[in-house]
Amino acid sequence: MEKAIHRQRVLLKHLQQNPSHSSFHLQSTHLSASACVAGKSSYGKTDASEVDDNDVVIVAAYRTAICKAKRGGFKDTPPDDLLASVLKAVIEKTNVKASEVGDIVVGTVLAPGADKLVECRLAAFYAGFPETVPIRTVNRICSSGLQAVADVAAYIKSGFYDIGIGAGLEYMTQDSIITTLRNSNPKVETLAQAQDFLLPVGITSENLAQRYGVTRQEQDQASVESHKRAAAATTAGKFKEEIIPLPTKIVDPKTGEEKKIVVCVDDCIRPNTTLMDLAKLKPSFQKNGSTTAGNSSQVSDGAAAVLLMKRRVAMQRKLPILGIFRSFATVGVDPAVKGVGPVYAIPAALESARLVLSNIDLFEINEAFASQFVYCCKKLALDPKKVNVNGGAIALGHPLGATGARCVATLLHEMKRRGKDCRFGVISMCIGTGMGAAAVFERGDT
Amino acid sequence: MPVFKTPFNGYSVKFSPFYEDRLAVATAQNFGILGNGRLHVLSLSPNPSQPFTEIAAYDTADGVYDVAWSESHDSLLVAAVADGSVKLYDTALPPTSNPIRSLREHTREVHSADYNPLRRDSFLTSSWDDTVKLWTLDRPSSLRTFKEHSYCVYSAVWNPRHADVFASASGDCTLRVWDVREPSSTMVFPPHELEVLTCDWNKYDDCIIATASVDKSIKVWDVRSFRVPIAVMNGHGYAVRKVRFSPHVRNLMVSCSYDMTVCVWDFMVEDALVSRYDHHTEFAVGVDMSVLVEGLMASTGWDELVYVWQHGTDPRAP
Repeated sequence: MEKAIHRQRVLLKHLQQNPSHSSFHLQSTHLSASACVAGKSSYGKTDASEVDDNDVVIVAAYRTAICKAKRGGFKDTPPDDLLASVLKAVIEKTNVKASEVGDIVVGTVLAPGADKLVECRLAAFYAGFPETVPIRTVNRICSSGLQAVADVAAYIKSGFYDIGIGAGLEYMTQDSIITTLRNSNPKVETLAQAQDFLLPVGITSENLAQRYGVTRQEQDQASVESHKRAAAATTAGKFKEEIIPLPTKIVDPKTGEEKKIVVCVDDCIRPNTTLMDLAKLKPSFQKNGSTTAGNSSQVSDGAAAVLLMKRRVAMQRKLPILGIFRSFATVGVDPAVKGVGPVYAIPAALESARLVLSNIDLFEINEAFASQFVYCCKKLALDPKKVNVNGGAIALGHPLGATGARCVATLLHEMKRRGKDCRFGVISMCIGTGMGAAAVFERGDT
Repeated sequence: MPVFKTPFNGYSVKFSPFYEDRLAVATAQNFGILGNGRLHVLSLSPNPSQPFTEIAAYDTADGVYDVAWSESHDSLLVAAVADGSVKLYDTALPPTSNPIRSLREHTREVHSADYNPLRRDSFLTSSWDDTVKLWTLDRPSSLRTFKEHSYCVYSAVWNPRHADVFASASGDCTLRVWDVREPSSTMVFPPHELEVLTCDWNKYDDCIIATASVDKSIKVWDVRSFRVPIAVMNGHGYAVRKVRFSPHVRNLMVSCSYDMTVCVWDFMVEDALVSRYDHHTEFAVGVDMSVLVEGLMASTGWDELVYVWQHGTDPRAP
């Protein structure tokens, strides 16, 4: 490595502009080497001296299956069991001692804050974490799971701890989306934009569809595609690597009979969805609108967890690296068309990672509504072959707080399957109240 | 005009003194910063659909920064390798027998190799370890080490008329002229304020030498009166990497630069720039003029391309 640095220095000095009598000392010059992402490549023969030990890497990412709220496989499962199963999985599968984890951050949205935090702490205990491991929650609505991962990455980078878990949990069987504000401050009436915060998200989807001309047909087509891809991925067994089977019980609503089951398959997917079926659905939010239950994400239950650590630590323990955290960005957008979030967040995250759109090989863009998903893909001119290749939230479900972390698991496992051709991936979502978030990941060198 | 694509970044190209249609190309992976190297021996053919045939290719563990053809054997080459070794190759022998020798004495990157055209039995290598070494083909160790420079020695070239005289260009901003029979350099002067990257003797006047530098200029000197240069040629946009005097025309010389161009100059003329070729899309780092075919030139660069063309024509024309 020293040789390479020395050679770079010698060559750089050939390009210096200022005359100097001594060529031995490095002069400050307006020409300087910029940090090269390519140098941190994990391709081919990894020369250990080439990679940056201070990278934050992901060594494990797992999720539960995602099930329909109130009617699916988890309807009688305590939500802390969901979280406990994935927390346990990331520790067990990597042989990291639970006590070594510096912090756990759980993205979770709808439940009352303090209650949920207690629930998460209990989940950590059930998962075998000692009392010495702290835990907290984070809420940036749809991006909470991704925000949790980014928070842990930031703390690791800052040196607060070396090992952390970013997770997500949402139990929509119990917690519903709030449609009214708790307190009504009279100012809300006066600020024009504040009115938009009160808009039900379905209305923002209609606003977007109208403003940007996304047709009912296009939205239904996106839904068909999402179901098709998710079904194909499930059949091909692709999700087996990332789903942690959860033994639980289910109670028959009619007979009250309790049955033991193991939930290991996403049950929101409708493999036989066709355009004709979807066309029959009535708009859910607005008369003569285009957003229906069929082309919106499904309310669901699920959890996911991602184990992050400094690369140096991963290498010391000889842990295979699933992915490398490269950048994260959040942006604010017009709350009336909050679905545009990814259009602004993705370029911000790319710039932070010093990449461009054409460098990205795979995208996971949350399908909150087909309207915004279609619009974002069109606006960014994304290749459909690279986006949500294994389906998206319309088919899989959108357990709000868990989605971001779930996408990390799905993205990284798919990138691993694709191998060297798939180097950089992006996860992005729009966020209620008008925001967008995006993160860039690099394939690990497993 | 023939173009050859090398898998690695080009560093140097040299025509064979024996065969008009043969040249050697030194290349290094990842711009010579980290990785392997490869030495190509190419043959030009009149067949337009396959202008180049690769006679041999030798892989090295580190980049090859320069190559020199032997003047005594038509199949022998000397490679200057970035890992500090000097390797000898014989294209007449099977690949498994090559390199026939690996000389490890330099403690840093070997940047240039030059074969003595008069004595034909010895060659020089210059290195980033601040030294120049003199070798013969039959000895496993160097005959002499010339240690006076205080920074990388980028080039050491034999005088075409005086068999024991050579010049060395160094990053310590000096040019030194040596006689191998003398214990120390016979002359040292600072041709440029910045690093001197290359030098070459005029083929018709044994006292005239050209130097080129990080300061983007090329200067031509008479070593008998080195206070003032005979000519100063500006025109390159970045540091000049290599200069070569023409073997056929007294006043003509060619240069290649980090500004990605290859330029031909007539240093006796007020407006010295004769031609500018901008065929390379990365740093142009190697250039040579054929001794056997008048006007034939070759260049290579970090864009992994080797061009061979006749002066006055477009290198990129098919």
